[in-house]
Amino acid sequence: MRLSWMIGGAQGLGVDTSANLFGSAVAKAGYYIYGNREYYSNIKGRHSYFNVVIGSKPYRSISEKVNILASFDAETVFQHFTSVTDFLVYDGASEMVKAETIRSMEPEVTDKAVKELESNGYGTSIADVVQYLKKKDVTCIPVNYVDDINAVINNLKIPPPLASKAKNTIAIGTSYSLLGLKEDYLRAAIKEAFGKNDLFLNMNMLAAETGMKYAKAHYNLEELPIGDERVQIDGNTLSAIGKIAGGLRFQSYYPITPASDESTYIEANQIVQTTTGGSGGVVVVQSEDELAAINMAVGASLTGSRSATATSGPGFSLMSEGISWAGMNEAPVLITYYVRGAPATGLPTRSGQGDLKFAINVGHGEFPKIVIASGDHEEIFYDAVYGLNLAERYQTPVIHLIEKCLANAYSVLDMKTFKGPKISIERGSLSEGGEGYKRFAITDNGISPRAFIGKASIFYTGDEHNEAGHITEEPLNRLVMYEKRLKKLETADREIMEESMVNVYGDSENVILLWGASKGPALDAMEELKEKGINIEVVQVRMFNPYPKRYMKRLLSGKRRIIALESNYYAQGAGVLTENTGIAPTAQILKWTGRPILLDELIDAIEEVVVHGKTKVVLDGGA
Amino acid sequence: MEEHNATEFNDWCIGCGDFGILRSEELLTDELKLDYKNFVVVSGIGCSGKTPHFFPNKISGIHTLHGRALAFATGIKLSNPSMEVLVQAGDGDTFGIGAGHFVNAGRRNINMALLVHDNGVYGLTKGQASPTLHRGEKTKSLPKPNINDSINPIALALSVGYTFVARGFAYDVNGTKELIKKAIMHKGMALVDILQPCPSYNDINTNEWYRKRVYNLDIDPVVKSMDEVPQKINAAISRSYEWEEKIPLGVFYQNELVPTFEERLKENIPDYDVNYPAIQKIEEQGEANTVYEKLLQARKVA
Repeated sequence: MRLSWMIGGAQGLGVDTSANLFGSAVAKAGYYIYGNREYYSNIKGRHSYFNVVIGSKPYRSISEKVNILASFDAETVFQHFTSVTDFLVYDGASEMVKAETIRSMEPEVTDKAVKELESNGYGTSIADVVQYLKKKDVTCIPVNYVDDINAVINNLKIPPPLASKAKNTIAIGTSYSLLGLKEDYLRAAIKEAFGKNDLFLNMNMLAAETGMKYAKAHYNLEELPIGDERVQIDGNTLSAIGKIAGGLRFQSYYPITPASDESTYIEANQIVQTTTGGSGGVVVVQSEDELAAINMAVGASLTGSRSATATSGPGFSLMSEGISWAGMNEAPVLITYYVRGAPATGLPTRSGQGDLKFAINVGHGEFPKIVIASGDHEEIFYDAVYGLNLAERYQTPVIHLIEKCLANAYSVLDMKTFKGPKISIERGSLSEGGEGYKRFAITDNGISPRAFIGKASIFYTGDEHNEAGHITEEPLNRLVMYEKRLKKLETADREIMEESMVNVYGDSENVILLWGASKGPALDAMEELKEKGINIEVVQVRMFNPYPKRYMKRLLSGKRRIIALESNYYAQGAGVLTENTGIAPTAQILKWTGRPILLDELIDAIEEVVVHGKTKVVLDGGA
Repeated sequence: MEEHNATEFNDWCIGCGDFGILRSEELLTDELKLDYKNFVVVSGIGCSGKTPHFFPNKISGIHTLHGRALAFATGIKLSNPSMEVLVQAGDGDTFGIGAGHFVNAGRRNINMALLVHDNGVYGLTKGQASPTLHRGEKTKSLPKPNINDSINPIALALSVGYTFVARGFAYDVNGTKELIKKAIMHKGMALVDILQPCPSYNDINTNEWYRKRVYNLDIDPVVKSMDEVPQKINAAISRSYEWEEKIPLGVFYQNELVPTFEERLKENIPDYDVNYPAIQKIEEQGEANTVYEKLLQARKVA
């Protein structure tokens, strides 16, 4: 069972809160949830929406088609009406509103809506949309928000601006009713979300009750047993918790979307307890810029703290010199890189995979850096820990890529996902320092025992240096020291099992080659395509430096099709494959609109390639 | 100039003011019994950036990036507040490429000291004008007279929250040593702007030029209650603009009544002062010891 629900509205009116509320109610009935958040770079007023997929088992993608669209403004209807398949919940008082009159809507979006309506012989008002949808067997449920909100105002004696925020909850009530789940779950979710504030609690409770009266059960979803405990959680928070669990004790950051939520979460939870009854604290510094953010983190790392920063493309660009210094000075540091639409400010609140090669090649000069990329929420948590371990094991910067569409999406996951084997902490080769200590002692594997500042007379410099860390430009020292640093990547290449750098799902002559967030839609597509008799295999690369070249060669040799699936123009991940193995993809499915890859458009695209032999499909789904 | 015991060859020019500053630091390091166990020197890029490598004493030194010494130092100090952190940077380092860090270090008031080797030129790149060179001046290698106005380091520091602001002269070794000592012992963020003749590229602000002008300040710089702040800052700023005829040396301003960043952090993390990040144990026999399950529990579907 897979059901897709969407709520939209102006930014700042609680669309997020509503989507979480709805998800939480449905999750209580035993369903898994995957929710994606789309919003403009704007504080208030622009259109934002949340797309939630409900499943009896975990799904990891959203679809272009939505079964239920819950709306309380006209723009949401115009933005998304072509996607609705079953139900539209809308403001009955908005029927006369015409698409052309909505100024917050981008002209291209208006044109598209108008064209679709007019070419089917309709006018351009909400009433026309309702007629259009009825023809497609969509049930349209008008909600009388004006009277309902007035009732809330009169009942609770609250000011109108506050009460108008309850519109969301009315829409949730109505759409929740359609599911046929126990009403008490919605009530419990509201209690959980607003229980601390009587006014908000009463207001939302009243709104939900009002909303539920508009619709009767349609889908008749059965309640499912929740065996193990489950959590409802987003990517930013999972990275933060992973870092805390992994022993992070210093994080510096400069505010940037979509990275900041991680750092503010860590600061809010900065006091930690240890299993032996001790306590600790994570220092979080909001720096003046990303130059400071990376260099503060590197400074902290020299004293022995596990340290990290979190940023996005523009900030990462500013960090490149600091990352080069960390590489030269063999300083462990984790950079959590939230990838959004670029170049420049690009699409600041949208997603993308255009920065992979930048991450791999960041910083002037040749130095080892390790690049890992998470494909789902579970991986984000474990990769955060892993990134901290790798940084210390190989004494070098580690870059952890997380796309915006995972960072801001949330999942309902089994708690046992995070209670697997004990989390191991690998601090790498350490030294107690003392007299005669040399920070950059030449070793066979390139890794020198690391002493912390305070333990020995230690010198660091961005200049080429000798074993003691003093400047030298002597060519033979340069020869040896340069090689020593790069040897660490060879050591990593030798020590890290290549099988752990790649996830393989299924077995087929048709391989979808991907990395990062494309994993979710690809796995969901794999299952649906199986029902259509099309068998595919998904190969997900999780580490790019070092690259699993031998294993990839083995995996891909003899395959009929290698289809690169990426959210960029050049299929950069596949490019890295080619550089390392000489193997090139036979087809590409690409998307660079800033929106996540949608399940239905991906299924169509894979069919185009596998059945009809297309070699390139460009995706454009989603508003 | 006395000879140093450093094992590293000191490649500063003969007559460089940096020798005077290094000598002051050497004396002070001995006097305060500072060594690698409790002391770390963090520097930027340029001639001054090499200072840690030339230290004769057994210290630790971190030669960072151009403009970024304060950022590195901030991470070091906040992660291990038991260390004395002394930052060395040039005037281009501090007021040009690193100006943002200079300003924001004032806002934080971290308990550390910044010494600026202030010579008006970018020496290591052959003498371009730095942010402290006055407008209209044409030092040796400038193709034309400087058309930028200069930054007043003292006034800038005072306006952004530095709680100890002083000026020294590189060839006044004892005076500078005392100023650095006060800066290190000061509770809060300290600046010592050190006038440092560059014999190779600044043929205007030479040793002789300074010697004719410098004199010791005769104001009481110490803030004893917060209501004195405006008056003390005004007095200091006003004196900081003396330049052409007379150049005051000494402490312009000192205020230990402002909470340090470390004290502010302790408000949020009660045991921060005794259990800071650098000494926290994060594992037991290779297994993570941080309790994180309750963070997940808070997101439980109930």
